[in-house]
Amino acid sequence: MGERKVHYTTCIGCHGGCGVKVTTEDGVIVHIEGNPDSLTRGTMCAKGLSTIQHIDNPYRLKYPIKRSGPKGSGKWERISWDEALDTIEEKMKSAIKDFGPQTIAISQGTGRGYNRYTHRLARSLKTANIITPGYVCHSPRLGLFGLVTGYGRLYCDYHGWGGEFPKTQIMWAKQLEISSADSEMCNWFIQSLDYCKNLIIIDPRQTAYASRATLHLQPRPGTDSALALAMMNVIINEGLWDKEFVDNWTYGFEELKERVMPMTPERASEITWVPKEKIIQAARMFAIDTPGCIQVGSSIERQANCGYTIRAITCLMGLCGNIERPGSMISWVLPETGLIEDFFLELPLTDEMKSHIIGIDKFKMGAARTCNPDTMVKAILSGDAPIKVWLSVGGQQIVHMANTKEVVQAIEKVEFMVHCDQFMGPMAQAADIVLPSAHFLEMDDVYDMHPRFMIEAHNKVVEPPGEAKSNIWIFNEIGKRIVPELWFDTVEDCLDYQVKKGQGMNWKKFSEQLVSGCWGKDQVYYKYKTDYWKKGGGFPTPTGKFEFHSNKLEELGYDPLPLYREPGESPVSTPDVFKEYPIVMTSGYRQPFYFLGQYRNIPWLRSFMEYPTAQIHPNTAKKYGIKDGDWMWIESRRGKIRQKCRVFPGILEGVLMATANCFYPEEPPETYHGVFISNPNVLTSNDHLDPMYGSPDLTCLLCKIYPCKEEDLQENVFKTEEYGTVQQLGGGKTALTEKG
Amino acid sequence: MRWGMVIDLTKCTRCHACVAACRIEHFLPLHVTWPRLLALETDAGGKPELTTFPVRCNQCKDAPCVKVCPTEATTQRPDGIVVIDPNKCIGCRYCVIACPYQNRNFLSKEKDPGYFPGYELTGFEKKGKKLYPHQVGTTEKCNFCVERIDAGMEKGLIPGKDRDATPACVNICQARAMTFGNLDDPDSNVSVLIRDRKGFTLQPEYGTEPSVYYVDGRIGGKESNKAPLHAQTGSNMQHLSSVDSDAKKRFDGLA
Repeated sequence: MGERKVHYTTCIGCHGGCGVKVTTEDGVIVHIEGNPDSLTRGTMCAKGLSTIQHIDNPYRLKYPIKRSGPKGSGKWERISWDEALDTIEEKMKSAIKDFGPQTIAISQGTGRGYNRYTHRLARSLKTANIITPGYVCHSPRLGLFGLVTGYGRLYCDYHGWGGEFPKTQIMWAKQLEISSADSEMCNWFIQSLDYCKNLIIIDPRQTAYASRATLHLQPRPGTDSALALAMMNVIINEGLWDKEFVDNWTYGFEELKERVMPMTPERASEITWVPKEKIIQAARMFAIDTPGCIQVGSSIERQANCGYTIRAITCLMGLCGNIERPGSMISWVLPETGLIEDFFLELPLTDEMKSHIIGIDKFKMGAARTCNPDTMVKAILSGDAPIKVWLSVGGQQIVHMANTKEVVQAIEKVEFMVHCDQFMGPMAQAADIVLPSAHFLEMDDVYDMHPRFMIEAHNKVVEPPGEAKSNIWIFNEIGKRIVPELWFDTVEDCLDYQVKKGQGMNWKKFSEQLVSGCWGKDQVYYKYKTDYWKKGGGFPTPTGKFEFHSNKLEELGYDPLPLYREPGESPVSTPDVFKEYPIVMTSGYRQPFYFLGQYRNIPWLRSFMEYPTAQIHPNTAKKYGIKDGDWMWIESRRGKIRQKCRVFPGILEGVLMATANCFYPEEPPETYHGVFISNPNVLTSNDHLDPMYGSPDLTCLLCKIYPCKEEDLQENVFKTEEYGTVQQLGGGKTALTEKG
Repeated sequence: MRWGMVIDLTKCTRCHACVAACRIEHFLPLHVTWPRLLALETDAGGKPELTTFPVRCNQCKDAPCVKVCPTEATTQRPDGIVVIDPNKCIGCRYCVIACPYQNRNFLSKEKDPGYFPGYELTGFEKKGKKLYPHQVGTTEKCNFCVERIDAGMEKGLIPGKDRDATPACVNICQARAMTFGNLDDPDSNVSVLIRDRKGFTLQPEYGTEPSVYYVDGRIGGKESNKAPLHAQTGSNMQHLSSVDSDAKKRFDGLA
């Protein structure tokens, strides 16, 4: 046996941050498992474990490359890091000089530890045109929960540190049990169920946990806010609200009462398709069996009424006093290392920068510090050229944004785009330069998502392939060339800087310690009853109270109270469209072994579900002549896609649940890796957006379905039935990895 | 002593981590998988239900595979674990047919094309060839991570309690859906679960007496939500705790 070494690090297979223990032998990884001495107690999921197939993966990007043919042609040639960075420097400098810094856009994928680098780089360049998926994932929660807590989130208290676990739990449009997303961990949630009296699942389709929960509500996709308003209606009419909390600590109760009165359970039942008895039952459970918490999923943020929906859910929490109480919703006391986001918040977002944010005139919550991506797409298509240089890291805007066709058309018009990634994908194919990024087992970095009670360390276990570099290195190098005074000599200096608030803390020490956290008796509950937020007690809001009626929203021109609005396309809002497209479609189907657009090129994970699958009720399937396992067309007014049909009794008739964010890494570059074959965003609209956040209806629209014919399945991807083999990637393995 | 496993169907989320953990633990060839997940989506009397049965070799007490093996390659250890000696296995596949649970895999050449066919093996795969060789032309299956059990017990560890002596799939499960222990001890963790929650085996009518049991039930209904002391203190991580000192100062004296 060779020389064995054990390494401890942190996983970012999703957002989570599970503790990881890796064993190497002579420098080669021979084992991966959970770190038992971590907050996730030695557990991990298939995504995290399958990172072993990222290491030495022949499809990994190893060298910087530049485009040597037209966009999307898949023709590339290897270049040096110096050439890549020189080009980026020159393009950025001339964009700043000729058109202003706001013409540089920095984009990212879902928060994977690089949020603060994209934001810091943008702010240091003096642009706020940051493109993130935040507006359809997590930002609405951060911003609207922030109207209660001042900054950041209300988290579910799954830990028992205050002496109690949640007695009633609502899982709203979320399956936390299959993904540690958005700063909450699957493992914590599942453990807390050992103390739970009522588990209420609100999800258009059945899940394993919904089958066994106390209550399962299946709303028509896009109607969640009506459900929340009706629950408040029941709670108020039955006198079940938390009088002590509402009388002493809230503002606007009478107005809220007036607002929810018309939304009776009967009316909500008509809107949501949830039987009124279930609405009443859920309301009573949440109000009577306190403390309770509500885990809100990002599917709600993929709806054009997301702002008011989250406001409604927040008011529901407050109405039942489920705020800052042990076992309810809480904002965490930070670890001694402080708020990791200070790394970019310390650079000011000036009025000048703000004035150039694309979409700020319309979406005052969502486009306050990042731009509205859909507005940007429309601007580019209308002939403006608001973006001259686009630096993209990780994310696949082509995949996750509404109306894929328009997104591709717009992105192809961007004069100069750089993309950083581990593999070639749709965004890389649209770029001019692609930079190879390191995997989390190949880099040192601080990991954090958002203001939660801990930050963690990524420790390098093995070297990245070829000349791949960590994203922190890439951003620091670009930053250094343009605004050297705001960046760092070395990556280690940058890491030291980020943990400097900890006593005697530096990167080396933090890397060994793995976690800087604050838990157990050190967490503070009932902050509003202490001087924590305000001398003499109170919330960090303009009124010092928990605001049912939000003065801040009113100031911005929004309705200060939660309200219900139909989706842009629905049986109610567009009855004519409904005649031709009679199925309510949502794209909220997630598999535990994929994370958004990721991992369809990882053989182990691909083996678990080779093709994107959509669920429909047996009667729906029968009606349209589709059998289980068949390929079917799903068509909307914008386009059509193919997904495999899964006949599934756990979904309402007339509703379809499609798998989101899918492309085929093995399909050729010219097709943007098959992004038009199965991706539901080919079907979604970018014309009807949330007034606060600009979020499109990604999870509620109308479609029709019909079976695919043999001749409809001509792409390569349909020609294999062998599970777990990722076919050779279309085009240019040699150009990408070997040549030069 | 008879090792057994209890799988709680109320907890399994169909996440596939157990499958991935096994693939790592035993360096499984690309198309070989020892544990599997049986995904059921049923509609009994208009009551839809989604259930996942994680299945693997049942280590049956009365194992048909042992009986049919012509070369004594498949044997049962005194602790109940059924093992295969690849040096004796001639690949006749009688056992694959005899197993009523279809939990045996014949390793053909096609099942081991490497993770990335047409490319060089990864470092992990190359190491695996030495550390856990798989013999093409033989039959394989779950062995309850017998290597971990033996090595752990040699160090005085207890399987099912101490991580280093416990099967990899049990350790990795985020939901803690799997429990491992001694079926012969009426007070063991597994025996208590089987007794208290009416544990059952798959297809008992075959009469093979599987060592893998299942329990099912509802989520919720717990009488108390009071946190035990270890949960309140976060004792498992307290040694790593560090507090926002300003917050603490503000809070001190107010509590």
